[in-house]
Amino acid sequence: TNSSVSMEAKPKLLVLYASQTGNSVDAAERLCREAERRGCPATVMSTHDYEARCLASEENVIFVVSTTGQGEPPDSMKAFWLYLRRRHLSHQWLRGVQYAVFGLGDSRYPQFNFVAKKLDKRLSDLGAEPIAERGLGNEQHSSGYESVLDPWMFSLWNTLYQKNLKFFPNGPLLSISDKKLIDQPKIEITFYDAVGGHSEYSNTTDLKCFEMEINRARSMPPGKFSHYKNSPDCFLQMIVNCPLTRAGCGKDVCHFEFEALSSSIKYEVGDVLEILPGQSPAAIDRFIKRCCLNPESYITVTPCNMEEYLLLFLWVQVQPREAQIGSCVNSSMVAVKLKAFVELTMDVASASPSRYFFEVMSFFASSEKEKEELQRFASPEGRDDLFKFNQRERRTVLEILEHYTSVQMPFEWLVQLVPPLKTRAYSISSSLLAFPNQVHLTVSIASWTTPSKTQRTGLCSGWLAGLDPRERVLIPAWFRKGSLPPPQPSLPLILIGPGTGCASFHGYVEERALQRSYSLTAPVLFFFGCQNEENDYLYRDFWFSHSQKDGVLSEEMGGGFYVAFSRDQQQKVYVQHKMQEQSTKILDLLSKGAAVYVAGSSKNMPSDVLSAFEEIVCNEAGIPMEDAVKWLRELGKAGKYHVEAWS
Amino acid sequence: MDTSVKQEKVSILAITDHVVMPLSAVLNAIRVVKKEGAEQTDPVIITQASSLSSLPVEPSSTDIVLSFSRSPEFPGDQLFKEYSRVLKPGGEIVLQQTLQSATGELTTSSIERKLLVAGFVDIHEVKIATTVSSEVVQSFGLNLILLIEKIMAKRPSWKVGSSFSIKKAPKVLPTLQFDDDSDLIDEDSLLSEEDFKKPKLPPVGDCEVGSTRKACKNCSCGRAEAEEKVPKLGSTVDLNNFKSACNSCGLGDAFRCGTCPFKGLPPFEGRPPFKVGEKVTLGGDFLADDI
Repeated sequence: TNSSVSMEAKPKLLVLYASQTGNSVDAAERLCREAERRGCPATVMSTHDYEARCLASEENVIFVVSTTGQGEPPDSMKAFWLYLRRRHLSHQWLRGVQYAVFGLGDSRYPQFNFVAKKLDKRLSDLGAEPIAERGLGNEQHSSGYESVLDPWMFSLWNTLYQKNLKFFPNGPLLSISDKKLIDQPKIEITFYDAVGGHSEYSNTTDLKCFEMEINRARSMPPGKFSHYKNSPDCFLQMIVNCPLTRAGCGKDVCHFEFEALSSSIKYEVGDVLEILPGQSPAAIDRFIKRCCLNPESYITVTPCNMEEYLLLFLWVQVQPREAQIGSCVNSSMVAVKLKAFVELTMDVASASPSRYFFEVMSFFASSEKEKEELQRFASPEGRDDLFKFNQRERRTVLEILEHYTSVQMPFEWLVQLVPPLKTRAYSISSSLLAFPNQVHLTVSIASWTTPSKTQRTGLCSGWLAGLDPRERVLIPAWFRKGSLPPPQPSLPLILIGPGTGCASFHGYVEERALQRSYSLTAPVLFFFGCQNEENDYLYRDFWFSHSQKDGVLSEEMGGGFYVAFSRDQQQKVYVQHKMQEQSTKILDLLSKGAAVYVAGSSKNMPSDVLSAFEEIVCNEAGIPMEDAVKWLRELGKAGKYHVEAWS
Repeated sequence: MDTSVKQEKVSILAITDHVVMPLSAVLNAIRVVKKEGAEQTDPVIITQASSLSSLPVEPSSTDIVLSFSRSPEFPGDQLFKEYSRVLKPGGEIVLQQTLQSATGELTTSSIERKLLVAGFVDIHEVKIATTVSSEVVQSFGLNLILLIEKIMAKRPSWKVGSSFSIKKAPKVLPTLQFDDDSDLIDEDSLLSEEDFKKPKLPPVGDCEVGSTRKACKNCSCGRAEAEEKVPKLGSTVDLNNFKSACNSCGLGDAFRCGTCPFKGLPPFEGRPPFKVGEKVTLGGDFLADDI
C-alpha cells in the first residue's frame, strides 16, 4: 500500500456486496454512486467475484450483506465466507484495512442480520479497523432497509472525511441545488434496423432459435445475470396441470408435470428446478409502446466504460472461468431483436424498481409536478412515502411509467434500471426412477392483496398455473442442487414437511418405494401439516397408499405418517405437536442413525421443529437439555440434519 | 446347633407320571438342588400325574418342584403353568426325563422352551453321574440304557400380581462422525448475547389495523381477522358525488390522501383541475387573512 509515499494517492473505496434477491446490489450501487458524486472513486463488486485473499491489500472496504434463510449468507458469499473463517488467518492479517459493514435483514426472523453481525466481528478479529458501527437494515422499518441506510451512509461520509480530507474534495455534503443528473448510463445500446445475419433463423427449429435468443439476450447486460444461466439446461413442456387444493378455500396449490425436450435430463430427488417465466405479451407490448421503442429493431448492449468493465472482469479471471470474458464480449456482438430482449431480460410487469429508478425518472420528467413528486420520492424526506407507494404495493415498472406519463427515459437507462427478469426456483417433487425424462413440481400460486386493495399474483406461479398443456409452450429450465441431498436407501429418515415442504419428500417416497424391489431400504417417518383436511391436504391419496401395509411409510415397516391439521380444531396443532406424540419412535430412529430433513415455507417452523427435537432427545434419552442441543448441532455438522426453507 | 438363625422349613413337591416312585429318586433330585435343610423336609409326592390339570397345592407355597417324566408329553403346558403357580418367587424346579437316547436332544430343547414360555428363568442342564443303579432301572421296568437329563430352572423372583416401575433404560445416542472443520473457526462464537436480541422497531403505530401495514399471508396473531372487521375504504362513499377537499384525487395514488376513496384506481382522464405543466401560484401576501 502507498500510505507513506510522497505522492499520496487519492483514497478510493471498494464496495463488496452479497445479495440474494437484489436488494444488496441496489444498496451497494447506491453507496458507490454517492461516493463518486462526492468525488471519491469507488468500485462495486459481488463477493462472489472477489478473491478473499486480496482483502489484506485493500484500504477502504464497505460490505453490504444480506442475511437469508435461517441466518445464512447468500449463495454468492459462501466461498468468500469460507475463506474468512480459516483458523490460520492471523489477527494481524487485515491490519491497515478500514472497513464498515451494512447488513440487510428482516427482524421477523430470529436470526436477524446474523451474517452482518458475524462478518463485522470476524473482520475486526482479523485486525481490520471499523470506520463505523455496523448498520443493520430491517425490512420491517417504515421504508425498509433504507430507513437505516440513509443516516448510516451520511455519518459514514462524515467520518471518512474527518479521517482524510482527500476523500471528498468538496466536503461530505452534496449541494442539493444541483438538479442536473450527474450520472451517466453504464451501458450503450446500438440499434440496427434489420440484420442480414438473422436469416439463419429460418433453417433452425423453434427450439434452437429460442435457445440462441435466450443465450444472446441474457449474456448482454454486463453482470446482470450469472453466466451459468445464459443457456438453459433444458427446455420443458407442461404435460399435466392440476389443482391439489379445494377450489375457493383460500389456498391454491397446483401439481405440474413437465416433459423434457431434445436432451435427456439428469437430476436427483431433492434437487431444485429453476424456471424462466414468460411475461404477458400484452404487458410487453404496452411497455414497448409506452417507451416509444421499435419492437422489430435489433440491438446490442455494450458497457460504456470498457476499461473498467474489463478491469472488473480481470478480477474475475483470477478464478478459472475463462469462458466468461469470451462469451461476454462475443455474444454482445450478435444483435438480438428488441422485443425478445425485453421479454427475456427485463421484468416490466412484476418486480418493483429501486429508489434510483425514481431519481433518474425525475430527470426525464417534462411535467414540473411529476418531476417534483419524483424528486421527493428519491429524497430522504419522501422515503417512507416511496416505500408505501412502491415496495408495499409491489408497483410494477409498467404501472409506474403509465402513471408518470411525462417521463421519457432513454432505453439505455431503462435497460440499466428495470429489474432483471429472474428465474424462480421450486423443489422437485418427482423421482427420475419413477418418471424418466419428466420433472414434477408442487407450486403454491402466490396471490395477495396490497394495502390499496389491488389483487396481485406471482409472476412465475401465475404464469405456470395459466399454461395449457395443449399449447406446448417452451419453458427454459435449469437444475441445481438444493439443501436436501438425496438419501441412500439404507438411511432411516425423519422428514418434516408441512404444506409445499412435502414436495421433495414426495420424490423421496416415490424413489424409496421403487428401490425396495432391489435393495434393502430403511424406514421413513414423515410428518406433514396443513390447515384443513378438506382444503389443502396435498397428495392425500399418495401418502395414504404408502402408509398402508408394507408401504414405505407404514408402521409395519418401522416408519410412520402423521398429519397435523392446524385449523381443524379450536387450538392450533402443528407438526411439532405430532412429533411430540411420536417422541419414542423418533428417538428410536435417531439412535439407529436416521437423518433429519426439514422443508417448508415459514419463518418459525424450522426453529420450532428444532426445539421439538431438542425436547424429544432430552426427555427420551434422559440427558440434560444442553447435551441434547449440542448433539443436534453435531448432527447438522455430520451432515444428517438438513433444512430447506423459503419465505 | 445355633438356633438364632431360624431355619425355615423347605417345602418340596415331587410329581411324576410314573405309577410308582421310590423315595430315593426324590432325595437324589433334592441333592441336585443342594439347598440347605432339604434333607429335613417332608416332600409331598404326586404320582400318575399325567391326567392332572391342576395341583392341589396353594399358590406360591412350594420352594422346590421336582418333576420326573417318563413320557415326553409330561409335563404338559397346563402343568407347567401350575408349577409356576405353586412355586414361591425364586423357587426352583428340577425336571428329570427318563428317555431313550436317540430322542434326547430334541426333548431337552422343547422342555427348555416350555419352561421359557411358562416364565421360568435361569434354565440350564445339569449333567449327573451316569451310574444308575440297576435296581433303579429295574424298578422302573425298563431294559434299555437310559439317559437321564436334568433341567433346572428358577421361577422369577416376583409374585403374580406384584408390580414395580420400570426404570427407563437410557437410550444411547449414536456418536457422530463429522469433519471437525478444525481448520475453520466456529461461526457461532462470533455472536454475542446482544446479537440474539430482537431489535426495537421505532413506534410507528405499526400494529394499527387499517393502516398500510398488512397482515401476512399466514397470519397467526389475529391481525388478519381484525382487518376483516375494518370497514373497507370507499365502500360507503358514492364516488360520483364525492367532493374532494384536496383536489388531488385525480392525479393518482401518489398524490392521494390516506383515506381517499379513489385509492387503487387509476388517475382521472383529463385530471381536473391541473393541466400538465400548469403553474400553481399562491397568494402574494401571507400575512393577510384569506377569510
